[in-house]
Amino acid sequence: MGREVAESCLDGVMIEMVSAYCTRFYATKPELAARRIEAIGYQVGHQLSERYTMERPRFTDHLEAIKFICKDFWSELFKKQIDNLKTNHRGTFVLQDNHFRWLTRISIDPTPESTEASSNDPSVTAENKASQTTNMHLCFPCGIIRGALSNLGIPCAVTADISNLPACSFVVRIKA
Amino acid sequence: MIVCVAVVGQQNNPLYLQSFTEAGDELKLHHIVHCSLDVIDERVNNPKKSWPTLNETFLGLLYPSENYKVYGYLTNTKVKFILVTIDMEVKDADMRNFFRRFHAAFVDAVSNPFHVPGKKITSRSFASRVSAIVKSFGSGTTA
Amino acid sequence: MEDYPEELRTPPVSLVSLVGCPDLHPTISAALHSEQPPINTLALPDFSKISIFARKQRDPLDAGGHPPEGILKKEWLLKHRTRIPAVVAALFSCDQVNGDPAQWLQVCTDLENLKSMVRGRNIKLVIVIVQSTVTDGVSEDLIVALRKRAEIDSKHLVMFEQDNPLEMKQSLNRLSGIFAELCNTYYREEGRRVKGRIEKKTFGFPELNIRYCFKVAVYAEFRRDWAEALRYYEDAYGVLREMVGTSTRLPHIQRLVEIKAVAEQLHFKISTLLLHGGKVVEALSWFHKHAASYERVVGVPEMAFVHWEWFSRQFLVFAELLDTSPASIPGNVSPQFGTLENPLTEWEFQPAYYYQLSAKYLRNKKLSLARSLSLIECSDSAYKVEGCPDSVTPSNFVGQYARLVEEGDTVTVLPLSDAEYTSYAIREAQRFQDSYEIIALFRRSWESFNSLKATRMASYCANRMAREYFEAADFINAKEFFDGVAGLFRQEGWATLLWETLGYLRECSRKLGSPKGFVEYSLEMAALPIFSNSEGETDGDKRECGPAGPATLSRRENIQEEVFNLLKGQTLVAADCSLKILEDQPVLVEVDLVSPLRMVLLASVAFHDQSLKPTSSTSITLSLLSQLPCPITIDQLEIQFNQPTCNFEVVNAQEPSMAESIRGDPAVRVEMAPSLTVLPDKWLRLTYEMKSEQSGKLECLFVKAKIASFFMICCRAESPASMEDLPLWKFEDRVESFPTKDPALAYSGQRFIQVEEPEPQVDLSLNASGSALVGENFIVPVTVTSKGHAIHSGELKINLVDARGGGLLMSPRGELEPFSSDSHHVELLGISGTLEEDESQLNLDNIRKIQQSFGVVSVPDLGLGDTWSCNLEIKWHRPKSVMLYVSLGYFPNSAEAAPQRVNVHKSLQIEGKTPFVISHRFMSQFRREPLLLTKVKSSSDSDKKTSLALNEMSILIVSARNCTEVPLRLISMSIESNSEENNSHSCLVEHSHGSPSDNGLLVPGEEFKQVFSVTPQTDTSNLSVGTVCVNWTRDARANLAPGSAVLTRLKLPDVNVEKPPLVVSLEYPPHAVLGVPFSLHARVQNLTSMLQEIKYSLGDSQSFVFSGPHNGSVFILPRVEHIISYMLVPLSSGSQQLPRITITSVRYSAALQPSIVAETLFVYPSEPTFSIGLRRKELDPISS
Repeated sequence: MGREVAESCLDGVMIEMVSAYCTRFYATKPELAARRIEAIGYQVGHQLSERYTMERPRFTDHLEAIKFICKDFWSELFKKQIDNLKTNHRGTFVLQDNHFRWLTRISIDPTPESTEASSNDPSVTAENKASQTTNMHLCFPCGIIRGALSNLGIPCAVTADISNLPACSFVVRIKA
Repeated sequence: MIVCVAVVGQQNNPLYLQSFTEAGDELKLHHIVHCSLDVIDERVNNPKKSWPTLNETFLGLLYPSENYKVYGYLTNTKVKFILVTIDMEVKDADMRNFFRRFHAAFVDAVSNPFHVPGKKITSRSFASRVSAIVKSFGSGTTA
Repeated sequence: MEDYPEELRTPPVSLVSLVGCPDLHPTISAALHSEQPPINTLALPDFSKISIFARKQRDPLDAGGHPPEGILKKEWLLKHRTRIPAVVAALFSCDQVNGDPAQWLQVCTDLENLKSMVRGRNIKLVIVIVQSTVTDGVSEDLIVALRKRAEIDSKHLVMFEQDNPLEMKQSLNRLSGIFAELCNTYYREEGRRVKGRIEKKTFGFPELNIRYCFKVAVYAEFRRDWAEALRYYEDAYGVLREMVGTSTRLPHIQRLVEIKAVAEQLHFKISTLLLHGGKVVEALSWFHKHAASYERVVGVPEMAFVHWEWFSRQFLVFAELLDTSPASIPGNVSPQFGTLENPLTEWEFQPAYYYQLSAKYLRNKKLSLARSLSLIECSDSAYKVEGCPDSVTPSNFVGQYARLVEEGDTVTVLPLSDAEYTSYAIREAQRFQDSYEIIALFRRSWESFNSLKATRMASYCANRMAREYFEAADFINAKEFFDGVAGLFRQEGWATLLWETLGYLRECSRKLGSPKGFVEYSLEMAALPIFSNSEGETDGDKRECGPAGPATLSRRENIQEEVFNLLKGQTLVAADCSLKILEDQPVLVEVDLVSPLRMVLLASVAFHDQSLKPTSSTSITLSLLSQLPCPITIDQLEIQFNQPTCNFEVVNAQEPSMAESIRGDPAVRVEMAPSLTVLPDKWLRLTYEMKSEQSGKLECLFVKAKIASFFMICCRAESPASMEDLPLWKFEDRVESFPTKDPALAYSGQRFIQVEEPEPQVDLSLNASGSALVGENFIVPVTVTSKGHAIHSGELKINLVDARGGGLLMSPRGELEPFSSDSHHVELLGISGTLEEDESQLNLDNIRKIQQSFGVVSVPDLGLGDTWSCNLEIKWHRPKSVMLYVSLGYFPNSAEAAPQRVNVHKSLQIEGKTPFVISHRFMSQFRREPLLLTKVKSSSDSDKKTSLALNEMSILIVSARNCTEVPLRLISMSIESNSEENNSHSCLVEHSHGSPSDNGLLVPGEEFKQVFSVTPQTDTSNLSVGTVCVNWTRDARANLAPGSAVLTRLKLPDVNVEKPPLVVSLEYPPHAVLGVPFSLHARVQNLTSMLQEIKYSLGDSQSFVFSGPHNGSVFILPRVEHIISYMLVPLSSGSQQLPRITITSVRYSAALQPSIVAETLFVYPSEPTFSIGLRRKELDPISS
């Protein structure tokens, strides 16, 4: 029971954070808002990785660290593991979560909420807006992954890709 | 008796260094801690033996320096904990226990949302917790 | 290690002695020496020398009653290695044995003597009889006699044959075998004898125990029994260690010295044995034990230096042993270091580790010695009074010293008192330059740690080395090493260690008299992130911290104050040297992006905009940050740009007089700032207006701050957007503020800006309107009007570009026909000035380059308000849309004053259109149809080409439609023959009717038609009819001068000419009247020379009734005409279709049907009346 309350609180915080950055602090600069949210995620990931790697031997290679992210780290955060991990063996990893917890509460409103955008093609704008909003929600988990991996000594860039809500995949590109 | 504990960051920069002696040899302890980083580098970068405990966080004795013994611990996140003691006989289990508790204290300190990763640890509660751990070192009963 | 005597450093080698037959000695010695193991030889030429084997009368070993004078005799080992052989071989030649009785007697005597000498020491005896030739022989009796006399075994009497090499080699081998065996026996027996004493404990003193153990071990070493040797050395060592507290034999200082000397020897032996045995781990453990057990045995404080020297030597020797030992780190050492099974760590396998410790302990010695000396000086104690005995030498025992007293010829050895020994030791110790020894040791360690890539250990050694240099007043070397060390500390952010190092560097600079270095190091120190406030300063602290003093905040403040006082011109006075900055040599400190002094002053410069118009201005924010502990007040700031005209200065408004005094160039702009005080860790932000006249990049390069009288700090300006973190401070947990107030500017601000080109104040207009027409010279008037400033050296560039991209206005075949003017679809024909004289001037002295799509033309200098214009003539060859780009580049002022070129660009899209659509049509003559077989035969093929009948006239109608949007005047239309010479007989074209009426003005969409008659006169399949030439002009009322008539030509397609076999002409009246019959004749001409059968038919029609056959056939003779006649009565009025008449040639099976037009007739309801008589008349014959 308590856990559910905490989770909804977390969801609330998450949504509020995205909306605060996107519509209040940096309403005119979505780029900057995304960067700020990602930076918060980075710090959280950095700190969490410190905690979750506490009682385990050091990783010898990148794959081990990524596996840790997929299994233990993800379980700690989302009570489930990453569903699918792919790699091209050249430093790119794709982590797919078929049911990403933080996207389960998100649905896309099919009707365009603002009429101001009607000057353009309304359907396109609505779609863009929706995907932009969901992408904003993924900045935070991207930052978490990047923070955790950087703290494990793997500098990388992380992007997210929504294939089909609430499934989503994170692409980790390790910097050489 | 533990005379010094230190936390050294990923770029081999000191994050926290506390000595527990009557002053006077603080500089020497700085030198000792700094030099011990070479041993850690050596031990981590040249894994010449395929030993099962190779990736263990506890690195064991780094080197004896004059009257001190220096022990090391390397976290997964490449943060080093270094302990300098004047005890000549130290039980392995005591040492491991110490580092485990120290690590927990460290994680709590850096998980503070107001702590910026990679910066020095200035938290007072961390300092007092470390003092407590150092004080209870070797008593063997505390977990 | 080199100080040790040879006999100690090398393993002992068995010794044998040869007596007699000296000529053989070198051979035998060499052979024995090359044995494995080798045997040394003590060669005595004759028996008179054997007395050296004799024992001394009084053997201290046997004197069990009173205590021994020492532990180990210094000479003992050497004696056994060089003077006391294990075996003595008496060499007799055959002659001696076989000789006369006197000789035999001599042999016996020698032997007896030798026996008596040897027996006391248990030395083994061997007799060698040397045979000089094979024939030499010694009788068996003599041999037995000799053996008996010598009391030796038969096998110890050897015959040595030197005659032939093979024999001799065998003899040598035999001999060395015997020697080796006997040596072994001898040393074993000796060892056993001494061991017996140890076991029986027949001694009352530990000294003897040690000595015996030592001896047993040495004897074992002779036998290469390393295990036993090791065991006894260790025993000896153990007993010795116990003596430390118990022995009372000597005065206590010397007692300790002796014990340590012996321990050193024993330890050396043990270490050597272990290392040679490859037992590295054991050797290391042993060494640690050794060091641990003696480290604290310092003795009296005033003699501590002796201990530390000794202790340091232990490390040095061990390091050298390790260095030279072939054994490496064994692979089976557990990587779990510091545990029970492996107490060792990596460095402990490295000699560098021990060199470093040796240096450290030697430094202890140095300090202790200094302390002892100062003690003596201040206490004026007994040592001094007693004075130093002149002749102190090492005595007979290891680690003991004695005084030699010469009284006449006799030399007596007297024991020393501790006081005497102490002053002797101090005197001896003072002779050495410990500093250089320490430096050498650290240097060795430094080098090997560097080669091990242990940079921090190496830098520690370098640090210690530098400290020794510093103490030895070699500041240049010290500075060099300290600088290297400081680099590492800076990089890794070890502020406390850096503090210490910088403290030394600062002192070095001061001692070297370098104010700049002193200032730089002082400032860096003051700016270090050190906040400790503990004020527990003690002497010990000071020594530990070096000249920097304790790393505290208050000390940082002191240092800052000190250095700023110096910079203000005060003299820094210290005990040994003083530093002052001279007025003519101010200190200039440069801070670049990697300088550690960025902490002292960091200058960030951000333009508020990304680009700047030359007339407008922007803001620039200058932010200064200092980490010095106290505020600094800047007197003047100089901001320097890559455009020197933009440089400006900022002076402190609070002290304008000061600023005035140091002002340089009066032309430079000066700003006042309310305060130029930089507070610690707080940005000082200054914002100023900036302007620039010159386009391009404007970049802030340096910010120079003048502080105090003689100090200038020159910072490289940094962009906030790309600013590196501050070194050291980046690890501090502090709140970082932005260099600019606006955080967005802090993220994006740059120290450079793009200055745009000045706004052109010139109108450039292209006045063409509407579309151009293909073929005409299209005129585009260009007008340049100066509005704001004059135009100098103007240059007009014209460029034509295909509006749909592609640039080049070339036809695809352009390269094949490069000279055709058609190759360019659009062509720039020329540029003409409006006034004739202008043009001539242009042509004379100015550029005028015109290509087909590109042109350049000079524009004359224009004053303010002047206008210049020219016309561009452009011709379109094809309809095309074209972009015309015209750009004017000029200098607004006369050339030398302003290098800034201004450019104005204009462009215009012009559509090129076809003026006329020309179409044509061929028609046959009225109601006359030639049978053209090609027309009949195939429908598709001959569609392309029009067929005309030979010698028959055809009608050609050409029409031209105005497809533009402007009215055009068509002047004339004609058809020109293509091939002039053939004109007369190939084709006759006549302009039959139609000429442009009312000036040929065609409004848009209007069509003009002209009729020509064409009579082909040659039977050819490709008859060129000619080219339509349309001469036209734009309507003058609408546009330009009417003179420019344009000729548009269109070649008519070729036609096919053929000879028709039949020609059918229909003859009937032009109109009919309802109910009035008329006749219809179809005249069929056979133009061939053959009989032609034709069939004909007339179809029914509702409008007419006719008389005559529906169908019929008839033969027509060659070149004859046949007429088919019908009578028709119209039944309805109006325009009516006659009944269809079809004529079919059977031979060609081709039907000929007149066109519908030819068969249409208008039927009047009643007889019409025509007003025009002529026409009426014409009609008459038909109607009648």
